[in-house]
Amino acid sequence: MAGKKKKKSLMEKKEQRAAYVFLIPAFLGLSLITYIPLLAAMAIGFTDLRTGHFVRNRVLPPPRFVGFDNFVEIFTNPTIDFLNSIGVTVYYALFAVISSVFYSFFIAILLNRKIPGRAILRAIFYLPYILPAAAVMISWHFLLRYEGGLINYFLVNLGFERSHFLSASETVIPSLVMIAVWQCGNLIVIFLAGLQNVPRVYLEAAEIDGANFLKRFRHITVPCMTPIIFFNMLMSLVVSLQVVVPALSVTRGGPGKSSMFMTFLMYHVGFREGDLGKGSAISFIFFILAAILAAILFMTSKSWIFYEEGED
Amino acid sequence: MFTKSGMQNKKQNEKFCNRLAFTVLILIAAMVMLPIYWIFRSSLMGSLDIFIWPPKFLPMGTINPSEWNWSNYTIRSANFVFLRNLMNSFAISVPCVIFGTATAISCAYAFARLNFTGKRFLFSLCIGSMLLPTMVTLIPLYMAWTYLGFVDSYWPLILPYLCGGGAFNIFLLRQFIRTIPRDLDEAAKIDGAGYWQILFNIIIPSIRPAIIVISLLIFITTWNDLLQQMIYIHSADKYTLVLGLTAFFGNFKADFAGMFAATVLTFTPGLIIYLVCQRYFIEGIVMTGMKN
Repeated sequence: MAGKKKKKSLMEKKEQRAAYVFLIPAFLGLSLITYIPLLAAMAIGFTDLRTGHFVRNRVLPPPRFVGFDNFVEIFTNPTIDFLNSIGVTVYYALFAVISSVFYSFFIAILLNRKIPGRAILRAIFYLPYILPAAAVMISWHFLLRYEGGLINYFLVNLGFERSHFLSASETVIPSLVMIAVWQCGNLIVIFLAGLQNVPRVYLEAAEIDGANFLKRFRHITVPCMTPIIFFNMLMSLVVSLQVVVPALSVTRGGPGKSSMFMTFLMYHVGFREGDLGKGSAISFIFFILAAILAAILFMTSKSWIFYEEGED
Repeated sequence: MFTKSGMQNKKQNEKFCNRLAFTVLILIAAMVMLPIYWIFRSSLMGSLDIFIWPPKFLPMGTINPSEWNWSNYTIRSANFVFLRNLMNSFAISVPCVIFGTATAISCAYAFARLNFTGKRFLFSLCIGSMLLPTMVTLIPLYMAWTYLGFVDSYWPLILPYLCGGGAFNIFLLRQFIRTIPRDLDEAAKIDGAGYWQILFNIIIPSIRPAIIVISLLIFITTWNDLLQQMIYIHSADKYTLVLGLTAFFGNFKADFAGMFAATVLTFTPGLIIYLVCQRYFIEGIVMTGMKN
């Protein structure tokens, strides 16, 4: 008996060693690419590091600690206008998360029915997601033109006023949200995956009990889907908060500063102007903001996520 | 309770619902496709015809109405060198896909099948990094790559994919591996197979759809990653497709036709790869079952 036990622990040791070998890339990645840089970013935010000298000579000048100067500066400097940037980013992110989650859930429910051409339709709805975001933005820029843009042609024909879309500060964020919704095929696919796991037995039992489609949807599908809804909201939130491609490729943060997203501001201050300290300060605040929003989502989730029994 | 007519009624009801769903989906799908079609249409027209009012839905010009203007595709601008940019994009994405997929498989296997101390902690670190905005790490990473002298090369874009290929991909693969019955690897283990053998002979063949999914996801992310490419690539001869297109857009001079042709060219490679694998792709994600 004792011999067997010893042998087993030897096997366990072997398994453990194998596991660590398999995990070397993840270890390296998590430490070198993710968590150490995260800590470094926080530290750099308190220094006056700049790119210029460093990029040319690859010699790091001894960083000077400037305390909270960078933070005070970004919040008070009107050319950086950080508060505006925070507002714009949060506005876009909340708007985009809610719209795309609603839209993709709706489409996924329709796609989950037994309808002809389901595979092709699924492929079509996923398609915008795989197109390069920069090319997508440039295309939409032309579609949304005030002069001769296709969307305005439709608006006029339906009896609406023409809109400036991306070239007016009131409409730029809603227009970008519309494009984000158009591109959210990945959420649709994840919802579809979830819908396949809604236990058929529940639905059939409810049907036998005479529950109509809406009732079944409300009392079975939605509760079973709440974990997926939460996952999609969370992922969509993290992605939307970091929105940058529209500003990089088309709007340049404008018109005015109406699409000056935080990531774009960080890119602008940190890389264009070479002020790594202030750039890091921006990303530090961004990190805290993202963490707060995610925490709020997590906290509310306890009250609306339905957990099945026997989950691991 | 269940009279025959009641059952029939229900069936008819169901049929009606399906038809309604189908109509709504077709309408929305048409709206989804319209912008893509519009870009294609515009790429075949003369610059002056693209924005005429009312717009023409078929690519017919005013000058020679019957002819499609394929000549836009012999792009005139020196800023958009399609073939070179295309090769550059591949030079980044292909190694990323290979390294990223390989390392993600190995990590996912360990998380799904092997027992070791600190598993829970490491796994939550891994999942936690999904929530971590990559934008926060950009400046420190930029400094590190500069220090190593890798700026204006593709290494800063490729090397991170040697490290697990992204938490979401590891997660997806792990979920998929857990759906495979353990009996198979137990049996192999009894036959004296090592962990590598189990991985190569049992796990990898049975998770092929998930592997296709994550290779495509990695391909799309690296292909489309404008921000990091802008940060690390400076010389024009190293420009990728999206960088080339953005630069072209930045200083195009009313050459709308050329712009649209360049956009279509930027779309195509991803489109072709997607069309070839789309069946596996969506099935793969659906099959992983995204539980928890």
